[in-house]
Amino acid sequence: MKNELKNALVLFCRVVLGIMFIYASLDKIAHPEEFAKQIGFYKVLPFGVENILGIVLPWTELIVGICLITGLLVDGAALLSIIMMLVFILAISQAMLRGIDITCGCFKVSADSEKLGLDIIIRDIIFLVMSFIVLNRQERKFEFLPKSD
Amino acid sequence: MLRVPLNQMLAIVILSIIVGIFVNILRSDSIPLLAKEIAIAEDLDVVFGEPVAITLDQAKNLFDEGVIFVDARDNEYFIDGHIPNAWNSGFFMELMFKLDSAQTKSGPVVLYCSDDECGSSEELANDLYNEGFTKLYVFKGGWLEWEAAGYPVE
Repeated sequence: MKNELKNALVLFCRVVLGIMFIYASLDKIAHPEEFAKQIGFYKVLPFGVENILGIVLPWTELIVGICLITGLLVDGAALLSIIMMLVFILAISQAMLRGIDITCGCFKVSADSEKLGLDIIIRDIIFLVMSFIVLNRQERKFEFLPKSD
Repeated sequence: MLRVPLNQMLAIVILSIIVGIFVNILRSDSIPLLAKEIAIAEDLDVVFGEPVAITLDQAKNLFDEGVIFVDARDNEYFIDGHIPNAWNSGFFMELMFKLDSAQTKSGPVVLYCSDDECGSSEELANDLYNEGFTKLYVFKGGWLEWEAAGYPVE
């Protein structure tokens, strides 16, 4: 019974993270230019590099989301999810500490997107924990590739 | 023990790089792989499309001409002090409506935030540009430079 509960929790985390990543990627894929500018506003990367990240990162999010939900390369997707969440948390924290007044660009890239705040960091920490739960799972259920270790 | 599935991770990263770059090449609104800095306005009267950056002096000239200034900072900073007659950006749709009723889309608008480090003025300028506004000046020095110069505030 206990194992079933654990498996259910892992599946729940996979689906929630998957939907979150896919949803987050769509507006960015539709508007790469705005998203790249948004990355630039965080002032962490050397100027210019934000474009390549703006082109690639939304697709990484989309593919990670699809992998988590469909059960393909779940290990790799979960590890990437952890790395992305850590990077997002660091980027948002440094922007807040430096008092940079920008919107998050997390889910929407327009000016009406949410302002940076502690709530966003807490939300990302929850996603981070969920990613760890997926990566640290004992059994592989509803996974198709690879089937075993 | 946590798994470290580096090869799987690499596979996903490489796939997203390939798809991302490939799609960017195919799409009509593709962007260069490396970003270009916002252009600096040489002559304010030249008609242009994309937002351009302006200096303190240029901002002061436009201010004297009575051009609309939009403060892109948060409301609390706006209340603390702003360039006289500047509008608080507020909700984007509301701002667009106000601008549309005040002048045409090719009418000049100056946008500013706190200083060179803030991005909200440029962000707002890009959003307005996407809505068809064509004479957008981003005053990059922003509030701090304006105040330091001793120009009027309210």
